Amino acid sequence: MTDSFAPFGVDPWWIVAIKVLFVFVLLVVLTLLAIWGERRIVARMQQRIGPNRVGPFGLLQGLVDGVKLALKEEIVPAIADRTVYWLAPVIAATAAFMAFAVIPFGPTVSMFGYQTPLQLTDFPVSVLYILAIASVGIYGIVLAGWSSGSTYALLGGLRSTAQMISYEIAMGLSFVAVFLYAGSMSTSEIVTAQERVWYAVLLLPSFLIYVTSMVGETNRAPFDLPEAEGELVGGFHTEYSSLKFALFFLAEYINMVTVSALATTLFLGGWRAPWPLSLWEGANEGYLPILWFLIKVAGFMFLFIWLRGTLPRLRYDQFMNFGWKVLIPVALLWIIIVSLARVLRTDVALSVTTSILVLGIPVALLILLALFWDALRARIRPGGPSAATGRDDVEGGSAHHAAAEFDPFAGGHPVPPLPGQVMPGATSPPPVLVATTTQERDA
Amino acid sequence: MTFLFWILATLSVIGGLGMLLSRKAVHSALWLALTMMCLAVLYVAQSAVFLGTVQVIVYTGAVMMLFLFVLMLIGVSAADSLRESIRGQRPVAVLVAVALGATLIAAVGNALDFSVGLQAANAEYGGNVQGLAALMFGRYLIAFEATAALLITAALGATILAHRERLFPRQDQRTRSVERFRSGVHPGQRPSPGVYARHNAVDVPALLPDGSAVPDSIPGPLRARGTVREIDATATEEVLDRLVGGAASDTGGER
Amino acid sequence: MNAAWPIVALGGLAFAFAAFSVVIAAFTGPKRFNRAKVAAYECGIEPTPQPIGGGRFPVKYYLVAMMFIIFDIELVFLYPWAVAFDQLGLFGFIAMMLFLINLIVPYLYEWRRGGLEWD
Repeated sequence: MTDSFAPFGVDPWWIVAIKVLFVFVLLVVLTLLAIWGERRIVARMQQRIGPNRVGPFGLLQGLVDGVKLALKEEIVPAIADRTVYWLAPVIAATAAFMAFAVIPFGPTVSMFGYQTPLQLTDFPVSVLYILAIASVGIYGIVLAGWSSGSTYALLGGLRSTAQMISYEIAMGLSFVAVFLYAGSMSTSEIVTAQERVWYAVLLLPSFLIYVTSMVGETNRAPFDLPEAEGELVGGFHTEYSSLKFALFFLAEYINMVTVSALATTLFLGGWRAPWPLSLWEGANEGYLPILWFLIKVAGFMFLFIWLRGTLPRLRYDQFMNFGWKVLIPVALLWIIIVSLARVLRTDVALSVTTSILVLGIPVALLILLALFWDALRARIRPGGPSAATGRDDVEGGSAHHAAAEFDPFAGGHPVPPLPGQVMPGATSPPPVLVATTTQERDA
Repeated sequence: MTFLFWILATLSVIGGLGMLLSRKAVHSALWLALTMMCLAVLYVAQSAVFLGTVQVIVYTGAVMMLFLFVLMLIGVSAADSLRESIRGQRPVAVLVAVALGATLIAAVGNALDFSVGLQAANAEYGGNVQGLAALMFGRYLIAFEATAALLITAALGATILAHRERLFPRQDQRTRSVERFRSGVHPGQRPSPGVYARHNAVDVPALLPDGSAVPDSIPGPLRARGTVREIDATATEEVLDRLVGGAASDTGGER
Repeated sequence: MNAAWPIVALGGLAFAFAAFSVVIAAFTGPKRFNRAKVAAYECGIEPTPQPIGGGRFPVKYYLVAMMFIIFDIELVFLYPWAVAFDQLGLFGFIAMMLFLINLIVPYLYEWRRGGLEWD
């Protein structure tokens, strides 16, 4: 390992204990503040007041809600798989807390006369560690959905999983350019590498892809399809009540904080002071940078809330299409462009102008092609694209009611009639399967 | 280090045994996840940090997810037949298992002789990740590309099994709404069921001003299941009966 | 002492907290048994009968998981390449482009084949 990891893993146990407690308390407090902030800000956006009764400005509302949940009855569905049902919220909450371990929130400081970095720990693969913990966190959700034994919960869990794994890829791809520039996957080294210029400026497309996919990854509006109330009641946590529900709630908000902190670390220079302030030497020393870090995180949290207050929920197919057909190809293309630019600069030693020309022309062509793709397709295959948009499908839709020619040995094998074909001799449509009622099953 | 090894080794063996002995397939999958996690921690403890995290991402993340999906798709939990459909499968399986075990023991035994950890190898290229990259995109490039091609072909082959021929043209929101209006059926919302604060309420039809029932007001699933209730005197009596007679058994657990 | 111990400590604390919450909730709340409460929640109607074996699910999810694995493995290889990009130089760049082609072709195939469509 390189020298930059020397400060990590050498702290005495009591400093580790202080930092662990600090991270834990910070996450819980940020969650409570985020819940309060979300309710107040969304209320403001909707011309309401929001919670303002408990404590100054209603600040203690989140805490009181937590206590209230603890005093609520715990309902376990009769057909739930007990062990997994209890395990799921524990997995979700533990994973959410653990992901924060590698986030740096300050430089090396003197803590009770002991020099230590304001970061729990760091590895050469810290960012990968966060991804790994995130993929463990998905378990909590899928297991919650499965073990509840309820249709809505199972559907919500599956949706949530499909969504999180889809957006995890876009998220992972957006990291590549950062690693390429920083030459490291360690969070503290990435922060150091942004001393001069933030990666949000240098690698703007990566930043935008990350911000989009982080909203999808945390199941927040407008990507909150797993909890689409109109379709799935509460999604994977429909059957959860009392503190077990509170744990899922906590995990969701901690995940929001974690992805915001990761965005800050990877793209906004981490704990480093923003530009005009960074001219002052003292801004990046001591405990002060925690403030810059928290301000940046709070900015992302506000973005989450703002999005929720502004945008309606996407339809599921639009959402998946957006992930797989827009975010991922754009991220791949961006990686190719960035690496090509870098290899042209360093290895082929082209001048900046030549590299821009070499890169710019194909990119411009690609963008043009993408813009005129539909028009080109229409010219190449007249009537082709309209079949996809469906104007003349309405006739086609009614056409399949008419009896078509049915060949029972199409292709040399006995085959059932396809939709739109009628089995010779069949007079009535096939019987509709009727499920048994609960009463019948219980009897 | 030895202490850590014994804890993790015990846990992974427990995980393996749990996977074999669990009745439900999802529980097996969970035990397997535990084993994978223990292996990942062992890798990290031996300075193979990249391999350790990747183990978690790829194995516990992707493969287990796929595993859970497949379990849910097929629903193995209850109706899995233990009868073998391929003749002579068992002896061959035993033979292959023994051969695999022997190979593994031989390979591990062989490796134990010169197992010294990764410290030196990591230092050579200035880091675990850098060292891996240098080997993977240098000396073992051909093997890397070939393995990648093989893996992707296998994965793509698996997706082909799941592809479905499109029998109807794709229907989007627009086509559906056009079709709904053309079909002549009332295109708007159906009337909501009659809510009379008894039983489930949604299984009772709404009433028209003239007192006749609107069958359409009851949700389709309930009609399909045949749990629709009629509004008449007997229903009222039945409800009364439930309230008086069933009260003792329904709320008996109250403390 | 290893750099991983703080993670173990944080994980242990978080686990203890979560496990404590789950256990304590069984004692703090009231208990009023009611048969309707422990039935699966379906907005008031009788719960849909669960088919034996948990039922079947749209194969779409399986396709997504499979595509995820393809891309996940790709990601895992992209990372060391990105980190060691400057050491690998032009050769490493070409090697990775070959790998990406290896990946983009099945991706485009899947796209054309309709594996990415949801409806």
